[in-house]
Amino acid sequence: MLIYALQRLGAVAATLFGMSLMVFLSTHALPSNTAQLILGQYSTPETQAALEHKLGLDQPLVVQYLDWAGGLLHGDLGKSMVMERPVAPMLWEAFGRSAILAALAMSVVAVLGLTLGVVAAVWRGRWPDHAASVFSYVGISVPEFYWGLVLILVFGSLWHLLPTSGAANWSNGLGAGLSHLVLPAATLTFTLLAHVSRLTRSSMAEVLESMYVKVARARGLPERVVILRHALRNALLPSITVLAQDFGFLIGGIVAVETVFAYPGLGQLLIFSMQRQDLPLMQAAILVLTAVYCLANLGADLAYGLANPRIRYGGALD
Amino acid sequence: MPPLLELRGLTVRYRGESGDTTAARDISLVLQPGEALGLVGESGSGKSSVAGAVLDCLGPSTRIDGQIMFEGQDLLALPRPRRRAVLGRRIGAVFQDPFTALNPALRIGAQIAEPMMHHLRMRPADAHRRAEALLVEMGIARAADIARAFPHQLSGGMKQRALIAAALACEPPLLILDEPTTALDVTVEAQILRLLAELRQRKSISVLFVSHNLGVVRRLCDSVAVMYASQLVEIGPAERVLDRPAHPYSLGLLASRPPLEAAPRGSRLPAIQGQMPIAPQPELACVFAPRCPFCEPRCETTSQSMVEMPSGAHAARCWKTGTLGPWPRQAISAQAGPAFRPGDALVNVTGLRREFATRSGMSAWQVSFTGGLPRLRHQVGRVAAVDSVSLTISPGEVLGLVGESGCGKSTLGRIILQLIRQGSGSVEFDGHDLAMLAGSDRHDFRRQAQIVFQNVGSSLNPRLSVGDALGRPLTLFGLADRRTRAAQVDALLEMVRLPASYRLRFPHELSGGERQRVAIARALASKPRFLVCDEPVSALDVSVQATIINLLADLRDEFGLAYLFISHDLAVVAQLSDRVAVMYRGRICETGPTAEVLAAPRHPYTRTLLASAVDDLPAAGVADTPPAASEFLAVNIRGG
Amino acid sequence: MAWPIRASATAARLTEPAVLTLPTAAIRRWRRLPPALLIGAAMVLVLLIVAALAQQIAPYPFDQMHIRDRFSPPSLRYLAGTDEYGRDVFSRVLIGSQLSLLLGVSATVISMGIGVPLGLLAGFRRGLLDEVVMRGLDLMMAFPPIMLVLLILAITPPSIMKTAVIIGVLSVPPIARVTRSVTLDLMSGEFMEAAHARGERTWYMLLRELLPNVWPVLMVEASLRVVFAVLLGAVLSFLGFGVQPPSADWGLMISDGREFVDDAPWISIAPGIAMGLTVIGISLLGDGLREVLDPRLRGRR
Repeated sequence: MLIYALQRLGAVAATLFGMSLMVFLSTHALPSNTAQLILGQYSTPETQAALEHKLGLDQPLVVQYLDWAGGLLHGDLGKSMVMERPVAPMLWEAFGRSAILAALAMSVVAVLGLTLGVVAAVWRGRWPDHAASVFSYVGISVPEFYWGLVLILVFGSLWHLLPTSGAANWSNGLGAGLSHLVLPAATLTFTLLAHVSRLTRSSMAEVLESMYVKVARARGLPERVVILRHALRNALLPSITVLAQDFGFLIGGIVAVETVFAYPGLGQLLIFSMQRQDLPLMQAAILVLTAVYCLANLGADLAYGLANPRIRYGGALD
Repeated sequence: MPPLLELRGLTVRYRGESGDTTAARDISLVLQPGEALGLVGESGSGKSSVAGAVLDCLGPSTRIDGQIMFEGQDLLALPRPRRRAVLGRRIGAVFQDPFTALNPALRIGAQIAEPMMHHLRMRPADAHRRAEALLVEMGIARAADIARAFPHQLSGGMKQRALIAAALACEPPLLILDEPTTALDVTVEAQILRLLAELRQRKSISVLFVSHNLGVVRRLCDSVAVMYASQLVEIGPAERVLDRPAHPYSLGLLASRPPLEAAPRGSRLPAIQGQMPIAPQPELACVFAPRCPFCEPRCETTSQSMVEMPSGAHAARCWKTGTLGPWPRQAISAQAGPAFRPGDALVNVTGLRREFATRSGMSAWQVSFTGGLPRLRHQVGRVAAVDSVSLTISPGEVLGLVGESGCGKSTLGRIILQLIRQGSGSVEFDGHDLAMLAGSDRHDFRRQAQIVFQNVGSSLNPRLSVGDALGRPLTLFGLADRRTRAAQVDALLEMVRLPASYRLRFPHELSGGERQRVAIARALASKPRFLVCDEPVSALDVSVQATIINLLADLRDEFGLAYLFISHDLAVVAQLSDRVAVMYRGRICETGPTAEVLAAPRHPYTRTLLASAVDDLPAAGVADTPPAASEFLAVNIRGG
Repeated sequence: MAWPIRASATAARLTEPAVLTLPTAAIRRWRRLPPALLIGAAMVLVLLIVAALAQQIAPYPFDQMHIRDRFSPPSLRYLAGTDEYGRDVFSRVLIGSQLSLLLGVSATVISMGIGVPLGLLAGFRRGLLDEVVMRGLDLMMAFPPIMLVLLILAITPPSIMKTAVIIGVLSVPPIARVTRSVTLDLMSGEFMEAAHARGERTWYMLLRELLPNVWPVLMVEASLRVVFAVLLGAVLSFLGFGVQPPSADWGLMISDGREFVDDAPWISIAPGIAMGLTVIGISLLGDGLREVLDPRLRGRR
């Protein structure tokens, strides 16, 4: 188990390093670009050179990278070019708002998705299974932003029930705060739910066909015990992997959903920075999102390692 | 005394895409308390369906008719929850594959304790304690550790012991075992069987033992029921059925088992030709008629019913019981062995040694806690799969290589063929050192030395038709061009006794025996001089084994082939081999002419092997004196 | 039962008169195919025909503006209404299918062109090559897919081919991993050892022994990749980093229609429905294929 954990940590470290390199190279490797972008219509060769020197862009790449990476590790995420403000405070505020949204969506998905999948597998071939199938097909067949629009149409324009943009202002009370979260969270949840329930269903169905489940039935154990105690434990193992995979979808989904609902989270900030070509902000946003993804995967890997006796307890006895 | 288990007219049907298949037809048998009944048959005979029907293990698309009377109740008439309760408390079950029968996520002790907590309402602490006690009874040392372990930490034999313990947890009066030792090693199998025999005596439980292995059944059971093509064809006391079988099929089965003695080159095993029908119609005729050497016109037009012998509860589904002679066998033709001259070796192995790393890459790093501090060590264990092996094979000679699984015999075979790199030592073929071969010489070697494998499931490419598979070596070695290829493929098929129309078939349309024939034909396509046969018959049914062994013998004589015949089964090896080499843990313990090694083994390991292979069945199982016809009354038992 | 196509090719080569009996067996088997496969195949066929003949079928060219008829709701004249410039939404949806399909197929072709050989070699050779490839793939998969795409599209001008290439490269790890795991499975089969014992060369073993067995699984995986590419492409266009206006791309249309969703929802709804039908069709096809293949695979073992 320990070796496994160390392996996973190593992988995370490598990934973050790799991503930081990629982010750095794709932007800093073209100094003329950066300077030109900042100066805009005022750029001439002289002003460019001056700015480059000021920003340290004429130094060798390795030095620039180390400077930048060093700054990152100290929490200095640079200064936004467009807004002339330090990146970090903006970023963390937006991150907080996205985190609430993501946490809400993921918890609903985890509970509901696994339950739906298990139910569909246990009642395989009957109406709950077919209903779940249809639901998941429809859910995965269209991107989240479309569902977002549909929800806006229904709950915003047609029925005027819920706010369709903006963030929660908690000072107005919990209810008002939550109301801003409902539609974005629902949109995210819908797509992920389809995915998770589908994969859980197939993993559960496979487990229900396995020999040890047949043996448990042959031993006369009641069906409830067979499903809950014998089958579920083995079916949920791959579900951990599925949920981790979904984190990737979640990150993509967050960007799209926040755009649709104009929710001021990290995703929107990223798009904003890309549209304005605000490089420091963009880099920081990408790095943070990647780091979150890596850590989520690490968490899932460790959880999987703990749950799977083969990894947790290692090799053979005697 | 009322019987413990009685099957009355049990019929099991599977609903499939193209209609219903009847897996078991009108099965009637009786099991008394304390009795052990062996249900014997080859794959496809329906024996597992019978056990599955009793245990309610068959899928939802099955139809079961008839009655299963257990302790006076008809299990089929009970509602499912009550049936499950009876099954759990009163019938224990052990299945074939110990590797998948245990839940990988639960500890061993918990899985054994669970039925007790449930059916006997024991408290968890008591149940766990009793589970440990059961493990001790099963002969497991360190029972406490094993009870806390997970299945993946146990060996196959230990898993099976744990499963038997779980089956006996609630002290059921009936134990049903479905091929419990098939997936295990021969020595482990012997241990498990000994355990079962002890348990039977100690606990006086009834046993229903389903198996295809006649020797195993012989060791354990009081009575035997033989199934063929979904029907019961013979039932009676074990000594009667296995010593003086009354049905042609049982007779053939017993006759086709290779005896544990050296066979002269010209002898062939008695064999049952053909194969079990897939869609039998016993209402029209005797299902075994196409394969029966005693068949008469009457057998092909009337359905057969069980004919009972009044004296010994012995019955068989054949009107000719009592008048059967011995199973026909080919006359031994006088065949001289290969003529040896010193220095004549085709294959010459000297001092061969090959090591493998037991742990490599990431798993070679181990973390240990010594004195409370973690330490990281890099351990690359090495084990010698083949160690100082020397042997020779002359042209036309068959060398048998015997040993248990893991002794390195397969590795040795593959090294000789250069499929695995050799370590130190040398392998010479026809005087050339194989390690030095390159280019066209290597190509030539490959043409002359080929291999036949064990696993009939994967030795043929599933996407290639038989014709394509056989044509490839012809093309590769330039033995045929477009025009002659079809004819040569036909000739190959004929050589292994398959019809030419099989050219278009794909592997999944063939039976196990047919696939093995195609694999043999493919190996012989390049007209080799030397063939490595790696457990070629181990995965086949008994009746098919004999035909393949005979085929290999015929081909050997026809083409003067030399074989390295690898097997764990001494009797099979003895049938074909001129000389035998015994292998243990990578080393050759003993080599010599087959007759000598079998009659007077010198190495203690050889003696152990011989001891576990010998069983009580008479040589070749040929009936010397069939029961007299007058002892049988033609009585219809429940319409057959 | 053999795949009808394969058996007849073999039969033709061996010139056996038995060819005549094969088609009837195939036709009898039509009815036993899973409904998912049939429906999915039908939908995909319709999609392909529509995409191929979009310019001919569409009532109006995609950029033709009818300013006086701006924002008109769906009618007989404009089957899905018109957008803010008076362009016929229905025609734009039909023509947009070309872009989505082009993206989906080209990205998948790229990913398979790189991923399949990689997976085959890694599974066949094992050893150092395998380790390197696997670590590389793991690293690629450790990034959230959309981040990589956005990163590259942000700093260079977007174009549909660039998007296809990026998504294609992004899809290499799943394809390579599936190929590799199937290859590993097959390598343990003794027919591979038999080929080795005949002294077959690497290219033969990869192409003639392994690949025919890998194709069925790859077809299923390919359907998943096409769906992934179509959806990801739509997200990118929606965010403004994919296809640029005035192209009739579905994601772009949905994005453009956002501001008018209260008054003229059909501008966004119609392309969404089209996308949904496309993805459902391809998914059904993939699922149907998997259903057909699974019992065969199990039957062989």
